[in-house]
Amino acid sequence: MTLTLERPHADQADAVIPAPQRRVQPEKIAAGLTLVALVAASVLSLISVDISLPQMVASWSNATRFFDRVGVISFPAPGELLYLTALTVGLVLLGTLFAAFFSVPLAWLAAANTSPGRGWMAVARFLGVLTRAVPDVVLAMVFVLMFSLGTLPGILAIGIHSIGMISKMFADAIEQIDEGPRLAIRAAGGTRVQEFFSGVLPQVLPSWVATVLHRNDINLRGSVILGYVGVAGLGLEMSYAFKSLNYSLGLGIALVIFALCVVMEIVSSAVRTVMLGLAPTRQGIGDRLLRRLGMTGQTADASRRPWTYARLRNAVWGVLAALIVIGSVWICDIKWGDFLTVWSYLPETAAKFWPPSFGNYDAPVMLAAMGETIAIALAATILTIVASIVIGSLAARNVAPSPRVRAGFRLVLVTIRGIPEIILAIVLIVVTGLGTQAGTIALSIGGIGLLGKLLADSLEEVKRGPEQALRAAGATRLQVYAGATAPQGMKALIGHSFYMLDTNIRAATILGLVGGGGVGYYLLNAGQGSRYDLVTTIVLMILVTVVAVEGLAMWMRRVFR
Amino acid sequence: MPGLTSNSSVTTGSGSAAEPVIDVRGITKTFGETTALSDLSLTVARGEIVVLLGLSGSGKSTLLRHLDGLDRPDSGTVTVLGAPLSGLKGRPLRALRGQVGFVFQQFELVGSLTVLENVLTGALFRVRGPRLGLWGYRRELKLAALGHLDRVGLLAQAYQRADTLSGGQQQRVGIARALMQNPRILLADEPVASLDPESSAQVMALIREIAIDSGLTVVCSLHQVDLALSWGDRIVGLRHGQVVLDTATQGLSKQNVMEIYGRVTTSTGELDAIETELGTELGTGEAGEPDEQSELDLATSSSAWDNRR
Repeated sequence: MTLTLERPHADQADAVIPAPQRRVQPEKIAAGLTLVALVAASVLSLISVDISLPQMVASWSNATRFFDRVGVISFPAPGELLYLTALTVGLVLLGTLFAAFFSVPLAWLAAANTSPGRGWMAVARFLGVLTRAVPDVVLAMVFVLMFSLGTLPGILAIGIHSIGMISKMFADAIEQIDEGPRLAIRAAGGTRVQEFFSGVLPQVLPSWVATVLHRNDINLRGSVILGYVGVAGLGLEMSYAFKSLNYSLGLGIALVIFALCVVMEIVSSAVRTVMLGLAPTRQGIGDRLLRRLGMTGQTADASRRPWTYARLRNAVWGVLAALIVIGSVWICDIKWGDFLTVWSYLPETAAKFWPPSFGNYDAPVMLAAMGETIAIALAATILTIVASIVIGSLAARNVAPSPRVRAGFRLVLVTIRGIPEIILAIVLIVVTGLGTQAGTIALSIGGIGLLGKLLADSLEEVKRGPEQALRAAGATRLQVYAGATAPQGMKALIGHSFYMLDTNIRAATILGLVGGGGVGYYLLNAGQGSRYDLVTTIVLMILVTVVAVEGLAMWMRRVFR
Repeated sequence: MPGLTSNSSVTTGSGSAAEPVIDVRGITKTFGETTALSDLSLTVARGEIVVLLGLSGSGKSTLLRHLDGLDRPDSGTVTVLGAPLSGLKGRPLRALRGQVGFVFQQFELVGSLTVLENVLTGALFRVRGPRLGLWGYRRELKLAALGHLDRVGLLAQAYQRADTLSGGQQQRVGIARALMQNPRILLADEPVASLDPESSAQVMALIREIAIDSGLTVVCSLHQVDLALSWGDRIVGLRHGQVVLDTATQGLSKQNVMEIYGRVTTSTGELDAIETELGTELGTGEAGEPDEQSELDLATSSSAWDNRR
């Protein structure tokens, strides 16, 4: 780089001008070193969680023995299964919608271009980080104490926890809009609220719907674990089955959940494609009819919007969606009275959780457990990154050698995404025994589904020009990838990897609940043993870690922009 | 059709013709280092069709934004329809904006909404609260919007998504949206800069026609001298945020404009200094009158070339 810069200078003036020094900001050096340190820590963690292939192979006999004992996988009675499935889906859906509803004002406050002030922006963003940082399991634990048993604790836990991610993505969408239409409405004398509804909302709606659907998939997978703290649905039945050592039923339910997740993923991705690629047609029957009306000048008739195919389809989808929501409310049988009585439990519950303490353990034990959780997250993240670079690249249209290869790897990613990590962990624990190893592998496999997809999408979005230039210069496929595609996707990879680490730290906690090692084990114990002050301590530790990672990620994004 | 169009006719306020509808006195506006408007004054009488002429960066857009209260001057006063804009905010400001239609260079329609919905957003200042979709608007408003669409020749496209229209059609929707306000003043910021010559001619003719039909006061910024001469009643030339030319178009030739433009700019020593500074900054070396002329010529000749095509 410096060479090419030097040449024209040298031509102009005959004297040798020193090549311009590449100035590196100190902040960039610091960020780079931090990145290196993180990778080193991840590798060390990987060594410390002690994943050994021989041991895995040895435990294979364990697995076969286990499956022999399970025998035939059994399912709950069809009627009950149907009810449980509907209940789980309904509960998750209502939770996600709850979050979407409250995310709208929060996103409006948090987006730089709509926020009424810097202070509001900071408050809204902090609330987002806070709700994102508290695991839904902990929220469910609290709400199970305050509400009568039923679906409400689950809905609220999913809802509140999801606000963080949904409001952030909503705000991002608002920040990416075209400001022109908003300005036009302001110029026509519209209020701020009118500006939002007529200028902003129509622009962000498709991306918002996509976000909500995406989060709904995540929540469906996450709902399994909520069963472990007493939230109704398939997860609860599964946890009962495993606790009573009825492995055949437990695995049966796990299989049902897996199928449900895959189906949901396919449905929502279909809806997303339709929403985002909504091709406007000008040749619909209604359009042609209207054009004829316009020609005859019958304006009065034109005041009725014609039933074009697109409108009909949207209306049918809308009615269907409304019916599903109504059905969800009906099947969840929400005890609305709880919203009145809950306030009286509030001080009592708060007293249970405050002040935080280390309970029967001392600080070093808890800190070590937290360290173990972070180590699992780091190790899993590095494994995920390595695997995702391979799988994600091959799933990208501009990297894969043939469309069939791309389709194959995309299918692999969808399948992996469909598996709830918790089920993966349970199966692995059965195979390899309790401990960090099972947790790490479960997390890293689960992560590939997400990171691989994000990476593939980012690679497909890179500029085509440099790739073509290299191909024109006679570069091989691999050279094009290394020289043009990968460097352009690097920034996205760093960003996505931090997102992965962020997700993994929370997920690592949760995996601990089923015996995947780390602080999650203590969290479940504390919850079941009514040591809520210890729960608070653990939550605070998680909170600090997550906020630290979030801050680090923000810094990295800013420096490497 | 004609019956509906009459709906769009504007309630021309009382007030004598001598009283200016726009009265700008000595406004200065800076954005950081750059001065967009410097001590600019301008009055526009009712029913006048004024062209703001100037190169990009001469302050045309900024001036127009000031006339609608979208920007506030650092000093000086802007009075529109008898109301001083300086202290105006909230409901009174919105009410005033409602009386001033604005047509944008980039149309600024919401692409995912239907054409009719886009036009109806021009009526937002008359309704309370937000609107989502078509059912939020009263039938009279819908009929009025359809009437305006008829006026601009797009009735048949009323229920299409706005982003399915061509540029010229989108700008006509933008005009219909402005008409939906029943405005007394129409501001247009380079309304045809993003359009092909044929659509440009259509759109400019439409604006003038509507303005004369409804007795609207129009302030329209342009950068093509030819178009400005043939279209406007009065030309106001801007340069570095100052008025350097203000004359009726009648009997004015392109040569006149270029000459006047050149003379005025060089007669002020202060302007020269600014120009030299800007010129060197842009790397054009010693800038001055000839440089400016060639730049303007470039703009006009390119539009002439477009017209030939």
